[in-house]
Amino acid sequence: MITGGLDLGAGTIKGALLEDGRRILATAAAPSRGSPVHTAHRVLDELGEAANIAPGDVDYLCTTGFGRYTIPERNLQVSDFTSSARGAIFLFPKTRMVVDVGAQASRTMSVSETGKVLKFKMNEKCAAGAGRFVERCAKYLQIPIEEMGPKGLTSVHPKLISSVCAVLAETEIINNVAEGVPLPDILMGVFLSLSQRAFSLMRYVGIQPEVTLVGGLVRNVGMVKALHDTVGMDVNVTPEAYYAAAIGSAVLGHSRLLKLAQSSRGAGG
Amino acid sequence: MSGVVAGVDIGSTTAKCVILGEGSRVLGKSLNPVGVDIVKDAEHALEAAVQDAHLSRSDVAFVTGTGYGRYKVYFGQLVVTEISCHARGANFLFPGTRLVVDIGGQDTKAIRINERGEVVDFAMNDKCAAGTGRFLDVCANALGCDVGEIGPLSLQARHAVKVTSTCTVFAESEVTSYVSRGKDPKDILAGLHASIASRTLSLMQRVGVEPEITFTGGVSQNEGMVHALGRRLGVPVNVSPLSQYLGALGAALHGWERLPGGAA
Repeated sequence: MITGGLDLGAGTIKGALLEDGRRILATAAAPSRGSPVHTAHRVLDELGEAANIAPGDVDYLCTTGFGRYTIPERNLQVSDFTSSARGAIFLFPKTRMVVDVGAQASRTMSVSETGKVLKFKMNEKCAAGAGRFVERCAKYLQIPIEEMGPKGLTSVHPKLISSVCAVLAETEIINNVAEGVPLPDILMGVFLSLSQRAFSLMRYVGIQPEVTLVGGLVRNVGMVKALHDTVGMDVNVTPEAYYAAAIGSAVLGHSRLLKLAQSSRGAGG
Repeated sequence: MSGVVAGVDIGSTTAKCVILGEGSRVLGKSLNPVGVDIVKDAEHALEAAVQDAHLSRSDVAFVTGTGYGRYKVYFGQLVVTEISCHARGANFLFPGTRLVVDIGGQDTKAIRINERGEVVDFAMNDKCAAGTGRFLDVCANALGCDVGEIGPLSLQARHAVKVTSTCTVFAESEVTSYVSRGKDPKDILAGLHASIASRTLSLMQRVGVEPEITFTGGVSQNEGMVHALGRRLGVPVNVSPLSQYLGALGAALHGWERLPGGAA
């Protein structure tokens, strides 16, 4: 049985194909620009190619994220909380707390051992706690976004940011550059500021190990280090956690498919 | 007694100076952008205002500094917070003022004052760019407009759009998406002004809305904002060409009281 998960996020559309809800066959992502349907199809094609599977062979498609209602051929849609939590449990079964820092929103949730969301807190009103802040910094610091993490890691004296607003922080950062603060210190300051935001969301929900980081920022090593230092405990990360919500929705799609099969068998017999 | 005093207001974006003479007459003023060297900007503000008043610097008996950069006005004899200065300035221009709304480049304040121009209560947002001049700068930029023209343009709107984002960064994206959907920039601008007006109203409600309301700070020069605020409040707000200088004017008035023989 092959199930697909599509996570239509504000910044990126991510997809995953799973076999029997247990094995990841492929993952893919594309920036969400223009028509989400069009981009989603590109992601699905890419997934099919990578896993060597024809589109018709996908038994069930489950969507999640901000744009989950835009895909007409979906069989099911689930909320971003549900899918991220399920994905985190799939990747790290002992996860009890999920931190998801996305492009436009950040969320934290506590989860049960079955991946059920127990409590959550989200910030979608302010760019300062979201990946968007990092993207903007990359732009005005003129550094490719994928270099920010490694460069930030070399920081010796991180330059903390006092502004809690992404726009006001911009002025502060530009002043720091003018004053000759080394770039790695500025970058680490940005990651720490973001971690601080995530940390307050985490405290609201109640921190408990294991903590798993998912979403857009897992690939940023600087952010992972900052979060680790801020929270003061180990944080689970894996490159696949970038696709956690897509993986989670494929897993949920699989369970739904099993249930459907059972009930039709029940009805038939 | 040569009664000439100056008030220097160093804001986040501009430096303002007002020279007051006998009978609290405004003799000269200046307005300049603030750069990296605030000390120099403060001196420059005073010199420009002195020139505008056709005086020399030695004629100025007392200088009061105020604003975000007030501690950089090294040549001054007195430092007063901008809250007290706006209160005093608003009371001077519009004696019936009970609430001052100051929208500056980087923060917004609502100041409730009594009939003597003393501060009774105030609320301030300096944590977030939403609702400040900075918000308008960012949005004007996203629309490719000059910040000076957005107010008048917003007044020509026919069907104002609804701007739902509070955050400046998200509002910028919202503006871009409205543009790509072919919305008229004037309608978008009207929506942005209405959004700031709502945000300002909630700040004002924290101290209590009581007319007369006097609008000060750089954004008070934006007639679209004057209109949006008046509309949201249901009463017109006081504005004057001097509104942007109100902090400096208030500082000068505070200095005046310190002069031997100055007004009590």
